[in-house]
Amino acid sequence: MITMSRLIRSRAPGWSRHVVWTSACVALFGLAACGQIPPQPPSVPRPEVGPGSAATQPRPPDVQPPPPPEQPRPTKTFRLGAASLALVSQAHKQAQDGDYGQAAASIERALRIEPSNPLLWTELGYIRLSEHNNDQADAMGRKALALATGDHQAESNAWRLIAESLRQRGRNQEAADADRKSEQLAPR
Amino acid sequence: MARGRFWKTFFIIAAAVVGVGALVIGSYAVYLDHIVTEQFEGRRWTLPAHVYAAPLELYAGLPLTQADIKHELARLQYRPVDKLERPGTYHQQGSRIDVALRPAAFADETRPATILTIESGPAAIGALRDSAGKDVPLMRFEPLMIGSIFPIHGEDRIVVTPNEVPPLLPAALKAVEDRKFDTHHGVDPEAMLRALWIDMRAGQIEQGGSTLTQQLVKSYFLDPRQTVSRKLREAIMAMELEAHFSKADLMNAYINEIFLGQDGDRAVHGFGLASQFYFGKPLSELDLSEVAVLVAVVRGPSYYDPRRHPQRAQARRDLVLKLMAERGIISEKDARAAQAKPLGVTLRASGSYFPAYLDFVRRVLRRDYREEDLTKAGLRIYTNLEPRAQEQAELALDKELSRLDRNHKYPDASLEGAVVVTTPQSGDVIAIVGGRNVAYDGFNRALDARRQFGSLVKPFIYLTALETGRYNAATIVQDQPVQIRLADGQMWKPENFTKQIYGPVPLVRALAESMNLATIGVGMDIGLDKVAQTLQRFGLERPVPKVPSMLLGTLEVTPIEAAQLYNGLANGGFRNPLRGVRAVISEDGKTIKAFPLEVTPVAAPDAVYAVDRMMEQVMERGTGRAAHAVLPASLVVAGKSGTSSDLRDSWFAGFSGSHVVVVWVGYDDDLPTGLTGSAGALPVWTRLMGGLEETSWDAPMPETLAETWIDYPSGMRVERGCSEDAVPIAVPVGTELPIKPGCEQQQKSIVERAGEWLRDMIRR
Repeated sequence: MITMSRLIRSRAPGWSRHVVWTSACVALFGLAACGQIPPQPPSVPRPEVGPGSAATQPRPPDVQPPPPPEQPRPTKTFRLGAASLALVSQAHKQAQDGDYGQAAASIERALRIEPSNPLLWTELGYIRLSEHNNDQADAMGRKALALATGDHQAESNAWRLIAESLRQRGRNQEAADADRKSEQLAPR
Repeated sequence: MARGRFWKTFFIIAAAVVGVGALVIGSYAVYLDHIVTEQFEGRRWTLPAHVYAAPLELYAGLPLTQADIKHELARLQYRPVDKLERPGTYHQQGSRIDVALRPAAFADETRPATILTIESGPAAIGALRDSAGKDVPLMRFEPLMIGSIFPIHGEDRIVVTPNEVPPLLPAALKAVEDRKFDTHHGVDPEAMLRALWIDMRAGQIEQGGSTLTQQLVKSYFLDPRQTVSRKLREAIMAMELEAHFSKADLMNAYINEIFLGQDGDRAVHGFGLASQFYFGKPLSELDLSEVAVLVAVVRGPSYYDPRRHPQRAQARRDLVLKLMAERGIISEKDARAAQAKPLGVTLRASGSYFPAYLDFVRRVLRRDYREEDLTKAGLRIYTNLEPRAQEQAELALDKELSRLDRNHKYPDASLEGAVVVTTPQSGDVIAIVGGRNVAYDGFNRALDARRQFGSLVKPFIYLTALETGRYNAATIVQDQPVQIRLADGQMWKPENFTKQIYGPVPLVRALAESMNLATIGVGMDIGLDKVAQTLQRFGLERPVPKVPSMLLGTLEVTPIEAAQLYNGLANGGFRNPLRGVRAVISEDGKTIKAFPLEVTPVAAPDAVYAVDRMMEQVMERGTGRAAHAVLPASLVVAGKSGTSSDLRDSWFAGFSGSHVVVVWVGYDDDLPTGLTGSAGALPVWTRLMGGLEETSWDAPMPETLAETWIDYPSGMRVERGCSEDAVPIAVPVGTELPIKPGCEQQQKSIVERAGEWLRDMIRR
């Protein structure tokens, strides 16, 4: 926990604390441990989807948190394997020391083990954000989003990253939209 | 009186001659002394950049069997032992392997020597533990050194410090090359005379006439021509070196300097590199026999080359061992035991593997670095090469081309090919094969063979069509005769490969069966500009000629460019710049250049997903279906064949969840091969995919899409039980497809639905 608080202090000032917290906590301990959502049954990739099935219904256009019951049910929960977890933890320490290059290298190492894990892409995006590489942060967010389909918490995290990268570039309206999407998927 | 005058004059002249001579020799000696001290003291060996493969990352769950792990250990020249000794050894007991890992330098950290226990399950690593028995989440083997980037004159070396040198080595060198090294002053007149005497009798030279110091001078300051004046100069410089430097310094310089082998343009200098070059392991790990082999090689690296002349080398090694025993450095028993050993050199020279990949690395680096920085500054270059994948790629190409050559009976021509393997999500290039002769550092087809793209272009046309929103995978397109008037006034009348006309077909079938006429119809409808832009978005840098024949792939690309394009399809419409190099590290361990992972979204994710699903049908139903005779039915792969006009080029490009593989097969002189993409490149692709650790392609379906089943011939919507010929496609949510007559009222029983669910699970 000491590590975490130091990590938060070391981040760029424009950052909201709980974004970092969510990302770091989720990455380190898995979703369930961060109190975000209860544990889900094992993931089912490429869910059977037919016309009219729940997962394909368009999302309601305007939603106040908490999300309405029509929200498609999450179908999977991404977690990090033990190896990735160790590397993410190492990356956080490196980022905390301001060594973003090494931190990114650690996440890349994890991505070679779990290339389809959106949590890792989001992690890498936050490192890019720290380096003020907002375009890559945005791209990492979108990559995470593409992989996170069906895991609302992971999708929400990716939208939050995208929102932050947009805000850093002064695109506040789009950032607000992205934040709203994040909020809809997993209210804080 | 005349006599006296004569002698007087004589003595004066003689004294003058001697005086002037002494003065000349003296000033020459001073001049040489200047050279010796200046150069030797200020000398740093110019260090070529050393290039490393990707380290193997171990973690619980990694799908490697114990046999695989032992293969990896063997590649790194770890020695099996009964009891763990120094680094570089391992001990197996049942499902458990204890490894004494060597100290290692990675791109991001250095690691001291450490003990690792690997517990193997039946198909994967079960657990990793440290020496205290504690679980370790992950650990890397050290990266394999795969080569060096050395200067034009070709000196390559790995510098070693005295504590990395096994004590036997200097002892052996002294015993064999220079018995009086510890006491002489640079030259050993007795040894010179003895050598001369033996030379005259044409006997076997046990010891040469030159001291180690003289040999050092010769290698260091002089060219190898043997003339009397050079011998003299060598002797003077040797004495001067001895006057200025300690014996230990000189021995260390000798060990790092001396020439020990030739490998093409590359001259192997010093025992550090020679140890890697001949035995594939660090100098400190050599045993007695191996040390003796290297000492044997000193005498004549070409004459005693242990790979080309093993008998000569062995005889000389045995002599070295005998001399060592005679001088009391080792016991008679140890000498005999070592003499009984085989030479133990590796089959291929380490550091000269994979020239095609090194070529790729050099080209990447030459964009950023001056030649002399690369060849002299001691850089460490960390690459993405995966030796396991590279081996499989070389094997697949060699085996399949040999088979095709036999079957096609072209007596005078031999098929060539190229392979590129990448990891889709990170864009790492993990293997490159530039031709059949993998040891040949010449024409690199993977990078330089510009060949017609053929039907590999089609997925990009269909992707462009889907992105317009006017097409989906079930859209009926017309496969019908086409006539297009070209800019030069000529009429272009393309045909299908089969010469047939298929009429109305769904888009998915037009792609799966690579129908030319249907594709031209789609391409002309959406426009050549748009198709060209798609190729450029995906990373094609060369200009795309906007002519109708481009739709059939008359555009010329290299295999690596094809890999760049297909990597984007495999990565859901994200482009990664393909990466061969991960990082460049300076001699003192600083990262001077990193090539970070970058992704750029370049296409609508749902359109890419839908095209990828269509490419899955290429493998299930179309020109790639032969692959599933070899690959497990449960492995989901997507791909596309390509055949250029007159069968000059045979391509196959495709991907699983883990790898993108592009294969090109053809003749260098562009002769027709008689092979389609399915007949030539596909078998190579399939063999390679079968040899790699593959996971299914299973990108999540974007929420804007829905999976639906259609009747493959007609494109009409069906329930799965209703058509014999149903295929799954992904279409935008809300797409209304005509329902196949007779399928309207199909109600599926719970049993049927459960069956479908089960099939889906198995597919994964």
